[in-house]
Amino acid sequence: MADVVFERVSKIYPGGSGVPAVNDLSLSVADGEFMVLVGPSGCGKTTALRMVAGLEEITDGTIAIGGTVMNNVLPKDRDIAMVFQNYALYPQMSVAQNMGFALKIRGVAKSEIAQRVQEAARILRLEEYLDRRPKALSGGQRQRVAMGRAIVREPQAFLMDEPLSNLDAQLRVEMRTEIARIQRLLGVATVYVTHDQTEAMTMGDRVAVLRGGLLQQVDTPQDLYDYPANEFVAGFIGSPPMNLILANVDEEHGVLHARFGDQSLLVPERYRQTHGLQQWIGRQVVLGFRPEDLMADSSMSEDLIKARVDLREALGSEILAYLAITSNTDVVLDALPATDAETVRKRSRVVARLSARAEVVEGGLITLSLKTDNLHFFDPAGGTSLRTPTS
Amino acid sequence: MSTTLITPSTSIAPSRPKLTPRQVRRRVGRGVLLFVMILVAGVMLYPFVVMLVTSFKTESQYLIGHGSSLQSWKDLNQTLPVGQELLNSTIICSASIFIVLVVGGSAGFAFAKLQFRGSNVVFLTVVSAMMVPLQAILMPEFVNMAKLGFTTSYFGAVIVYAALGTPFSIFLFTTYFRRIPDELIEAGIVDGLGYTGVLTRLIMPMALPAIATVTVLQFIQIWDDLLVGLLFLQNPSQRPITVGLAALAAGRTTSIPELLAGSLVSALPAMLVYLGFQRFLIQGLTMGIDR
Repeated sequence: MADVVFERVSKIYPGGSGVPAVNDLSLSVADGEFMVLVGPSGCGKTTALRMVAGLEEITDGTIAIGGTVMNNVLPKDRDIAMVFQNYALYPQMSVAQNMGFALKIRGVAKSEIAQRVQEAARILRLEEYLDRRPKALSGGQRQRVAMGRAIVREPQAFLMDEPLSNLDAQLRVEMRTEIARIQRLLGVATVYVTHDQTEAMTMGDRVAVLRGGLLQQVDTPQDLYDYPANEFVAGFIGSPPMNLILANVDEEHGVLHARFGDQSLLVPERYRQTHGLQQWIGRQVVLGFRPEDLMADSSMSEDLIKARVDLREALGSEILAYLAITSNTDVVLDALPATDAETVRKRSRVVARLSARAEVVEGGLITLSLKTDNLHFFDPAGGTSLRTPTS
Repeated sequence: MSTTLITPSTSIAPSRPKLTPRQVRRRVGRGVLLFVMILVAGVMLYPFVVMLVTSFKTESQYLIGHGSSLQSWKDLNQTLPVGQELLNSTIICSASIFIVLVVGGSAGFAFAKLQFRGSNVVFLTVVSAMMVPLQAILMPEFVNMAKLGFTTSYFGAVIVYAALGTPFSIFLFTTYFRRIPDELIEAGIVDGLGYTGVLTRLIMPMALPAIATVTVLQFIQIWDDLLVGLLFLQNPSQRPITVGLAALAAGRTTSIPELLAGSLVSALPAMLVYLGFQRFLIQGLTMGIDR
């Protein structure tokens, strides 16, 4: 059992453009912790994982496992076990042989190999499949065999590279809980890579969000959701993503307002301290709010947001309404730009998560109230949250 | 009580459903195809049948057209050291194919999975050697082997055969190994294997179709070859069966049954190897077609 520590780790591929795939990453995974690395494609999460495994050279910085720097240590000597996206099972071997192969290479006694394989098979409910070849197994069974191959090693750390990506939705949900259960049972430090933020939020003790090789934020899933450090994290975590709007902050009779398009929102006084809005009066900020904080409201209050329903998605338990809140298309932001440059793709709709019984008609008008308990404000220049550190 | 005889016209058995024109065309087409295949098979097999039947006749029985005897086989065994020559062919084939597989498998793995500068250029250079015919390099090859003293042992012929067969083997193994996911190799490395271990314990056991393809094609080529055996094996006791058969035909005997017995002995091993490996051969030759 050991911890995994990234200390200012960078990776630049030779012969490329010189842009780091992983840039100055510092992160520690405590012994027994389940750390999820999440981010869009190309963010460097898999590269970071592969550097821990020793499958990629480290350009700069150090990676330590159990206090020992591993930069120049061969993969086989790092005492780690890896679960791959495509399982990587040896097709010519049976399930039992696949699981015991690493131990066989290390010269472990046959009786001990058999015992460990049996124990892992029991944990993973694979006992009746031990004599089968991988091609005779379903996707979920193969994934369990891949986990079993890792478990029998009794390693210092588990590394998992998008192990559920190739499974169907239902199986993914099933295996998610299975992996989390096994990890808690074994208590081994685990670094888990995924692009799926639902997996990240449900499985991780902590989640590290990466983008363009840079660590954006590492926190517990709930804190990541409630206190995103920047626009990117705000827009990436949560489904549907957070609504982000360019708004002008002004003060009228001592009361703060956020104005966007021809609409105005009353901002509670406490945000003056918690987000330092005093110095933003007269300036533009990015206002963020979660879809579930919008509620259909048929009263005639002036603080309501008026919108046109462009699209309605009925999910059974709720309705997702895609709303045009203003005719000004320069207002609503997409926190996930199409390219690595800071060009922001503009859209004109916000998303509201409404009750299944809400009256929502496509093409019709709707008035909504916004819960102001969980407003978020970001600097439009750099995207960082305006929340002051003490709040 | 009256009884009614059931005649065929009053039978209650269900009548066969009528075939649609499409079904009729399909059946006719299949019939024609079957007929053509039987015809072609007959044409292909006829020489072997003649060879087999004639080898079990004496010369006089062959001339009169009937009868059977083992005499021609006995004569063959006395005229030629058949057993020794078969053994020589086996040794030469086995050694050459072993080198081809080892070099081809290793090089194929390197080209397919290891990144190194100039790999594409080297690969193309090696593969382009497939286009060089033996006849073009025969004389310089012979001079080299003679100077090195390799024409008095199996070694010279084995080296020449291995050199001729390796480019194709490298090409085939490289193509085959490129289809193997990199993750499989990485899993082996994380489990504790080095690249040699990955190749011998993971990759080659998965490459049976490619191994079978190379083995069968090389075996047929080497076993049936005359030129290299004639030139590079100067020692009569090391002659392969094809050279022995050529000597037989060149004047040692004029008996047709005996000659055909010798031909059968020469042809049979290659046929058996092909029949034994044909399932893998088809897999190996058609890989990549469905992608």
